[in-house]
Amino acid sequence: MSPERTPGHHLRKELPAEVPAPASGDRRSAGERESAEKRTAPGNGAQQREGRSRTVPGPAGEAGQTPEPGPAGQGSPEDGPAQRPQTDGGDEPGAAVTGRQRLVKSLWPPRVSRAQLIVAVLLCGLGFGLAIQVASTSDNSALRGARQEDLVRILDELGDRTQRLQDEKQSLDDQRTELENSSDQAEEARRQTAEKERQLGILAGTVAAQGPGITLTVDDTKGTVEADMLLDTIQELRAAGAEAIQVNDVRIVVNSYVTDLDHGGISVDGRKIGKPYRFKVIGKPEDLEPALNIPGGVVQTLEKEQATVAVERAKTVVVDALRPAKRPDYAQSSSR
Amino acid sequence: MIAVLGLVVGVVVGLLVRPEVPAVVEPYLPIAVVAALDAVFGGLRAMLDGIFDDKVFVVSFLSNVVVAALIVFLGDKLGVGAQLSTGVVVVLGIRIFSNAAAIRRHVFRA
Repeated sequence: MSPERTPGHHLRKELPAEVPAPASGDRRSAGERESAEKRTAPGNGAQQREGRSRTVPGPAGEAGQTPEPGPAGQGSPEDGPAQRPQTDGGDEPGAAVTGRQRLVKSLWPPRVSRAQLIVAVLLCGLGFGLAIQVASTSDNSALRGARQEDLVRILDELGDRTQRLQDEKQSLDDQRTELENSSDQAEEARRQTAEKERQLGILAGTVAAQGPGITLTVDDTKGTVEADMLLDTIQELRAAGAEAIQVNDVRIVVNSYVTDLDHGGISVDGRKIGKPYRFKVIGKPEDLEPALNIPGGVVQTLEKEQATVAVERAKTVVVDALRPAKRPDYAQSSSR
Repeated sequence: MIAVLGLVVGVVVGLLVRPEVPAVVEPYLPIAVVAALDAVFGGLRAMLDGIFDDKVFVVSFLSNVVVAALIVFLGDKLGVGAQLSTGVVVVLGIRIFSNAAAIRRHVFRA
């Protein structure tokens, strides 16, 4: 505030609250002088006041400035007496009215003077800076106003947090990979188990099978074929690599047995099989057929017994006789 | 009136344009704004006192801004920028308050 004062007012500017008396007295005297001037000679008083408020005498002489005080001076004597009874209690009319009156007068009517323009430019700059600052502060207030050390600390915390989150992500990724692997492994194990079950099912006779092989038909018209001959046939086929064997509608498995019945006929696994005996065998036909036809082999032995034997290769032999899966009573799987 | 219009225009332009504050000026802008506010309040008080002088106002306005920015700049160079800017804001705040008290006395007679 000090620069705005003229040197004569240095007392007031230093102790504004403590020494109001000389200030108010000074003000009042000035105001009374002004109001007196206004009342007596409106135009002249306004010009004087205008000149006094502008301590630089230069602008007063400018051509653009001189018409200004005219309308202002016309307005002021009308305003002055009108406002005084309203605004003031009446005991100190000059001082109170002067301050407010100056404010009102400077606000309305608008006057274009050099002082107003310069102040307007400065205030425009102030408002501009104020708006920028407010806008930029409200942008991201947390970081904008922070000092350097705070920023460094925030950055450190963010770095730590990033590190922690990275670690967590890493461990979660590992966990996910592990789970995926284990589920893959479980899937693979299930697949292999199913595959193995099918293979074992073919061997155990619990599932149907098809594939290349031969069909062997033994027509025992004389009833001379006995159980041991059929057993020999089965053994021979097994030895030649037969994978699934079916006689008529009985599946031959690992524990199949062939017995002669008392009143003629043959039973396999306790089930009587009728003539002719039809063997359906899955295996490599090139191995199976020669194995049966070798000299002194199955075919010759059977033919010696007056039975007619026919061996045919087939691209697809269907072994569809099934045997129920047998659940062992005592033995349990030792794996797992 | 023109001055008030200037202030309003400045605020509106600042809000509408929203320019990027250069990084060099950024630390000094708030202090400069506070210093300018101090000068404006001083000018208002002087006007109410009837001793307003535009030349004095311009000089005080600019010197206030420059000195405030200079103090903060110096404080930053000395490593006490935060404390010094706080001090500047406190001093300017006190001055604004005393000026506001004088203005209040003028306007409200109390």
